[in-house]
Amino acid sequence: MRGLCKDYPGGSRALDDVDLDIGPGEFVALIGPSGAGKSTLLRCLNGLVTPTAGRVEVGGVAVTGATPETLRRVRAGIGFVFQQFNLLRRLSVLENTVLGRLSHSSRWRSLVGWFDPADLARARATLARVGLGGLDTRRIDTLSGGQQQRVAIARALVQAPAVILADEPMASLDPSLAHTVMELLRRINHEDGITVIASLHVLELAQAYGQRIIGLHRGRVVHDGPPDSLDDAATTRIFGPGVAGGAA
Amino acid sequence: MSHRGRWAGWAAIAAVFIWSAVATEVSVGRMVEGLPFMWDFLRRMVPPDPSVLGNAVRGAIQTIQIAIVGTVVAAVLALPVGFAAARNAAPRWLFYTSRLLLNAFRAVDTLVYALFFVAAVGLGPFPGVLAVIVYTATVLAKLYSEAIEAIEPGPVEAVRATGATSLQVLRWGVLPQLVPQFLSFTLYRFETNIRAAAVLGFVGAGGIGFYVQTYLRLLNYPAAASVLLVLVVLVMLVDFASSRVRARLV
Repeated sequence: MRGLCKDYPGGSRALDDVDLDIGPGEFVALIGPSGAGKSTLLRCLNGLVTPTAGRVEVGGVAVTGATPETLRRVRAGIGFVFQQFNLLRRLSVLENTVLGRLSHSSRWRSLVGWFDPADLARARATLARVGLGGLDTRRIDTLSGGQQQRVAIARALVQAPAVILADEPMASLDPSLAHTVMELLRRINHEDGITVIASLHVLELAQAYGQRIIGLHRGRVVHDGPPDSLDDAATTRIFGPGVAGGAA
Repeated sequence: MSHRGRWAGWAAIAAVFIWSAVATEVSVGRMVEGLPFMWDFLRRMVPPDPSVLGNAVRGAIQTIQIAIVGTVVAAVLALPVGFAAARNAAPRWLFYTSRLLLNAFRAVDTLVYALFFVAAVGLGPFPGVLAVIVYTATVLAKLYSEAIEAIEPGPVEAVRATGATSLQVLRWGVLPQLVPQFLSFTLYRFETNIRAAAVLGFVGAGGIGFYVQTYLRLLNYPAAASVLLVLVVLVMLVDFASSRVRARLV
């Protein structure tokens, strides 16, 4: 990312001149108070948000100014896990998961819901891997929040992505489930070598799981370093005075 | 609202009610005087005449057929109009034009459209079908457009984020949110259209209403009773079946 800026209508600046290089296989925790630009930053990476200025490259491909076709290819290589899971609630667990293969499957067949058996097998295997084996035919709205987030992670994982972006993946979950979800992301990072960039608002989780912590404050990068570099001065820069060591 | 203001509001409602009751000649006395005639009317209907059951069932089947054709065609017509009347799917000018037209067409009921179409294409079930189509299409378009406006953007964004094409996003992000609702609304309108189509015969637009009206006019109360019984059973069956299906949809 080079000189990345994003202004929203109404004059609010979400990102202000952000320069970042993130290497393959890193586990990055993106922290900052709400409104600091964490979601916008992640969405710029896969082109869900178009930056006002600056440049984004993922895996050597320019995301900014990409043709729709290129943008789809870039997105196919990036899994995105949302805070609100963003699953199709009336579809089954397996259907939701196999949607991660849409960019790889034959366009016309996927429109009538005829998925490649290999893609379905892959989706089933991935569901088993995230601990949801046997729930394939259940409708999403019959699952708990923790299970739903794991379906969403499975959907990102079947894309066979190089990068997984996770936007506050545990913010809608019971605190006790946060570690399950973060542990899963860590395993994916270790075992598959997938780069993970997760925005988090709980400092303890960022320090426990991130190998590199990037702190945003009002759209600017105010901290960048390993977890042990996150001292009181750094937390104050990120969250402002008075919350050092705590959660924002 | 102040205490005084609330009392003024209630007083205004009471005044409008009394004004309307007087204007419509509401009279308990006249109703009591009419009671023996009502009783007489009912008594003459018993026992119903089973010999007209054939006609009644034929009429009932035609009523169902009018409702089926009318509802299906209306549902198809309502699809594009529904998108045109959704704030988040149509350009502003199209949205306002569609909403205005829909509200205007919806102000007129099926029976009035039936009068119009009987005059235009002649007697029989066909003008009934046309009447059902026009009214139902506008009602369904309104319901569809509200469902489209209530769509959750999150899942749509999620499907787009997998690198899907626009058509794939529509198929897997948008349609799964809409189709069950559309089907449910359409079935519900089918239920109401059975009742609407049952009175279309009163104005010569086919169905079971034709027999109700004919037998009443001939003062053949036992025959009318048979037809009404068939109508009641028909409506109850359709309501039961349709609500069972709808419960499974959503």
